[in-house]
Formats: sequence, C-alpha cells, structure tokens
Amino acid sequence: MGTGDLAKYPFLNEAGEYLRESGFGWEELERPDMKDIIDRATERIQVGAGGNVYDKLERYEIEILTFIVSLIMVKSIGIEPVLKKYALSEARRAEEFLTQDLKQQSETQRRSLFAKIFEDLFKLKIDVAEDGRLFKVRVADYLARSSHFHEQEWKLINRLVHAGHVYLDADETVRLVRNELSVLIYDKVKAMTLPTLPQAIKVRADELRARLAPRYEYKISAVTEYPPCVKHAVEVMSKGENLPHSARVMLATYMLAIGKPVDEIVMMFQNAPDFNEKITRYQVEHLAGMKGSRTKYSVPSCEKLRNENLCFATAECDGIINPVQFGRKRK
Amino acid sequence: MIQAVKTIPVVKGAFREYYFKQAKGVEEPEKIEQREFGYAQFGQLGMTRHLSFGSIKELHAMLVKEVPSDVYCSNAYYRSPTLPMQEKQWTGADLIFDIDGKDLDLPCVPSHTYPICISCGHASTFDEKKEYSCPLCGGKKADHVSIPCSKCIEGSKKEVKRLVEFLTGDLGMQRENIRVYFSGNNGFHIHITDNEYVPLDPQARSDVVGYLSGTGLMAESVGVRRGREENMSFIKFPRGGIEYGWRGRIADKLKIDSSSIIKLKHLVDQKGGYAGFKAELDRMAKEMGVRIDLQVTTDVHRIFRMPGTLNSKSGLAKTRCTDLESFNPFNDACLLGANKVSVRVKTHVKLKLKGESFNISKESAELPAFAAVYLICKGLAESL
Repeated sequence: MGTGDLAKYPFLNEAGEYLRESGFGWEELERPDMKDIIDRATERIQVGAGGNVYDKLERYEIEILTFIVSLIMVKSIGIEPVLKKYALSEARRAEEFLTQDLKQQSETQRRSLFAKIFEDLFKLKIDVAEDGRLFKVRVADYLARSSHFHEQEWKLINRLVHAGHVYLDADETVRLVRNELSVLIYDKVKAMTLPTLPQAIKVRADELRARLAPRYEYKISAVTEYPPCVKHAVEVMSKGENLPHSARVMLATYMLAIGKPVDEIVMMFQNAPDFNEKITRYQVEHLAGMKGSRTKYSVPSCEKLRNENLCFATAECDGIINPVQFGRKRK
Repeated sequence: MIQAVKTIPVVKGAFREYYFKQAKGVEEPEKIEQREFGYAQFGQLGMTRHLSFGSIKELHAMLVKEVPSDVYCSNAYYRSPTLPMQEKQWTGADLIFDIDGKDLDLPCVPSHTYPICISCGHASTFDEKKEYSCPLCGGKKADHVSIPCSKCIEGSKKEVKRLVEFLTGDLGMQRENIRVYFSGNNGFHIHITDNEYVPLDPQARSDVVGYLSGTGLMAESVGVRRGREENMSFIKFPRGGIEYGWRGRIADKLKIDSSSIIKLKHLVDQKGGYAGFKAELDRMAKEMGVRIDLQVTTDVHRIFRMPGTLNSKSGLAKTRCTDLESFNPFNDACLLGANKVSVRVKTHVKLKLKGESFNISKESAELPAFAAVYLICKGLAESL
C-alpha cells in the first residue's frame, strides 16, 4: 500500500501507524500551520453533513491529519445525525476512490488493495476472476450483504453465479461494502475518548455545532395518535437512525393517507443519514401517485408489516388490519 | 387430524416400543447444547417448546418417558435455548429445505386422496368433480389425507436431485455437506452442514430460495432490455456474459450464446416483445427451478422434525437417505413392530408397507402394527 493509498483511505490501520511513527501529538494541533488542516476538516464535515461528498485530495500527510481532525470534531460536536451523515459521506468518498482503483491499477496492486480493505476490515475475501476483468466473492458472503439491497438486479438469481462464487464488476464489488465502510467510520468516532481539546479545534467544533444543531432540534414530532408501527418509524427517523426502505414506504404512505402535505412528509425524512431532499421529494410524490406510474400507493397491511418485522402492535391496535384504521375502529 | 381417544393407546404403544428399542436411531444434532427442542404429545393440542438437552442420552430418556407424538429440534443455535424467544440470543442456524410431495401437483394425487369429514370423522373416496358432502352426516368440510404412492415419492426425489444439482453446481457446496432425509410422511428434508450459510438472516435465505426456485429472474439478466417505448426491447448482454448459472441455463434452453444478438431479438419479437418474453422467461424459470417451501427455509427460529424420530402423520420415521435412488420410504422408514392389531378401517384402501401389500375392503381387519398405525395416523382406521 503506497502513501497515495493512505491519502485516499485514511481509515486504514496503516494511516494510524504513520501518525504514531511520525510522533504526532495533540499539542501540535495548536500550531499556527495547523489552521489549514482544521479549515479543511471543518469543510469536510460541513460537506458531509449536507449529504454530499468531499472530493478534494491532497498529499497523504495532509489527508491523514484532516481525517483525524474531522473525526475528533465530529465526536466533539456530539450530534448523532451529523455523525451518521458524516460517516456515510466518508464511505461514499472512499467508495469512489476504490472503484477508480479497481478499474485502473494493475492486478498485483488490486490484490493488495483487496487484501487490505476487504479482507482486513470487513472479513470479505475477494478474488480477481479468471478472466481478469471481474471479481468473485463467495455466495454466502455476497448474500450477507446484498440481501438488504432492494433493487431486483441484486437478487442472487440475477447475478452471474458459478461454482460457489458470485461474479461482480468493480462498481458492484465496492457497492457491496458501502454500508460497512460507513459503519467502520461511525464506530471509529463512537470508540474515541477525547482528552481536553486543543483550543483551536474546540472553537471550530463549537461553531459547527451551533450552525448544525438547529437543523435537528424541532424534530421530535408529536407522535401520540399514530399507530405503534408508524410511531416507531417516526422515532427512529427523528433520532437520525437508518430506517429500512420498507419502513420508509410505510411512513410516507401512512402520512399521505392521513392527509399530511408532501412538504411536511419530506421534512420527516431529513434526519435520515442518506437524506437528499430532491430524491425524497420525488419518492414521496411517486407514492402519492403524482409522478411516474401515477399509481397511488396504499399503506401496507398489518400482515405485510408483521412479515417484515415492522409491526409493534399494542392492545390499542384492537384487531385492525391496516395501520390507517388505528383509532378509527373504537366503539 | 381427528384421533379418537381409544386409538391413542395402540399408536402410543407402538411408538413407545420403537423409542425403547431403537432410540439410538435418533440422530444427535451438532452442538446439541445450543439447540432448542420441542415435542407434541398424543391427545394434546399444542407443543412443549424451549427445552434443552445437554446430551443425546438425556433426549433418549425423555423419548422413552414421555413417548411424544412428534419431536422437533431447532436448526438454530442459541446462547440460552430455554429462554423465551426474545432472550435466547440467536447465533446462527443451519440452512434447511423442505420438499413436500403435496406441493408438486402430481396427477396421481386424487386417486389416493381420502376426505375425512370434520364433523363425524367418516372417511370416503375422493371425487374431484363433486363438491364435498359427507355421505354419513352431510357435513361440508373435510380434511383431505393422502396415502402417497411410489409416483409421489419419485416426484419428490426428482426435486431433491434437482436441488442437489443446484447446490453442488451453482452454489459450489460439497456433496458431503448436504444431508437428505425422508420427512416421515410425503416429502424430503435437506439439511446443509456448510457453516458458511449459518449466519445468514431470513432475507438472505429467502434470496437463496428465490434462486433455487427460479423466482424473480429479470429479462435483463439474459440480455433483453426494455426499450424506451412501451413493450419495445433491445439486446445487450450483461458484462459477465451468459455462460453460467441461471443465465447459462436459460441460454442453453433458448440455444443462444453471447454472440446471438439477432437470434435473441428474433425470439423476443416472436413472443410479442419485452412483456411477452418476460412472461415466457418466468414460466421457463419456474419449470426449471426446484419446488421448495419458502417458509421453512426462511424461518430461522423454527423447530424442525428430528432425524430418527417418528412422524405422527404416518408412524414412519424421518430417515436419512444415504442412497436416494434406492431409498424406499415404505420399507426403509417403516420401523414399527409387526404384532397384530385389530382395527376398523373406514374406507377401502390400498397400501404397501415393508414389502407387504394391503388391499382392505372389509371393515374390520387384523393388521401388523406398522400398517395399523399407519392407517390410524392417517385417520383412515380406528382400533377396535
């Protein structure tokens, strides 16, 4: 692994080793020439929290430091949805580099990259396929990751499967670990214990918190009269935690059914770690029958929700068969 | 199943003798201490679950003491198998498949199906064309029991062979990691001992079933893509080619390879465009896939019939098939004793067990225990 790789993948253990070997210490963050690093880290977090990918790439010394300082600042900001969004954005950044590298570098380099990133970090063994163009993973390893993707083309039956392996191209291989990359960054921040922060970082982190916090304040909507399944989804969403696609569909169709305006529904999703207003708006409008097929989607039945483990029935549900009936069926 | 109280002692007696003499035939599951067990008892509704046995000897002792009608063991592994489901701490589950003869829609089935009236228990012969009405009490509802014939078993075996081909071929499993069992009634259970699949969640298992049963194959996977206009299509083969797996299977069937763009386009047009081709593809994939029960494979908390125990729907044992070809459940899984039992047979039945053919048309008959129990379990006889 070259130093250029450490710049692109600063979450690798080697990046940490580099820092240790160079004898880098906390106090150095107070040095005036660190201001540039702190500026970059601030920008990196802002871009990530805004749902975008930070795309500047500098020398590895700068990248590794920027990454570490970003982690420290995100930890210090202490807002869960900011951390989630930041982690996802870092994952997407690494994903872009990985895809390029898998496509461009020679086979030996590719193998070492896999060994490092996929095998060390995610316990996922990947080989270059016999023809040198595709990559192969064990069927069970593939399934453990792909079964949570919703697109039909990720179903095993639509993949090239042969002798216990699934064959994938570079983009697909990397897509397979996106979620794990994001969890890796998230866990790194969670596991940190911060000493007293250098003033230079503390000031900037406080500023960032003040700027980002209002986005996440209102947000505990009054959820008392919703059925328990919807209530649960709203709660999860407002905490900025990830909600499965099927639960999002339930939440949106329910809100449409009770007559909530599209604008308000879109805003209910804004704490989602992968929130993108344009996409969410299109999806909600699609469910409302305003876009695409013009089919108005109904709220999934209680039975369907039970099958998808999205049902949290209470006595108040009183035998309803669809969440929209909640509260209406009272005698 | 209706089981008159007076028939219970006969069946239970035969089961007791089996467990007393042949409890060793009950196969010890791997990591027995991490499994949940359960059993049902004669004449009682429901099941006793959340049990744990430290060793196979403890389990044998329970079998002899309780003489259960059916015995089950989880395919899942738990840290605490005896706690309620939410607290058990699931750590993984063996991959299992269920092939049930009754799901295969075989043409022979009506000829050996017997409706048994829900209200009076009267058994009669089956008439497909007529709506059921009990000849004795006029009741309109019936349980339909089937005495599987050799064609049924052959049909199920064919599915098992196809499944094994998929598993060893596409999924690359070792044959020795695939254990085939006769279910004890009218089908086969396949247990996979490949640890790679143990951690998979229900969704991933459902994806495996989709693959094996040929469900959800996209036309795009074999190179047929939707055009911009309604029902228009164009051909672009996927990057990995169409040589292997389902793509290869369909390509073989259509006699195409990755150079057959024009031929495939022609085939699509013949089927009336994208939608027509997709419908044809669905039909082909379903026919080439294996008919397995989705529920059984995806339920990772299920307790599943234990190998070597008796099935109260037939009195036959769930039996390992080391050689599927020569396996004959009516001999190899019929393990009860042969002492004579007097029974009242409810309708005219034919069956063959342990090489002996029975064609019973008179009401009362004296039969060897294995045959008497079989008919009683099916609800077609009562002990006298």
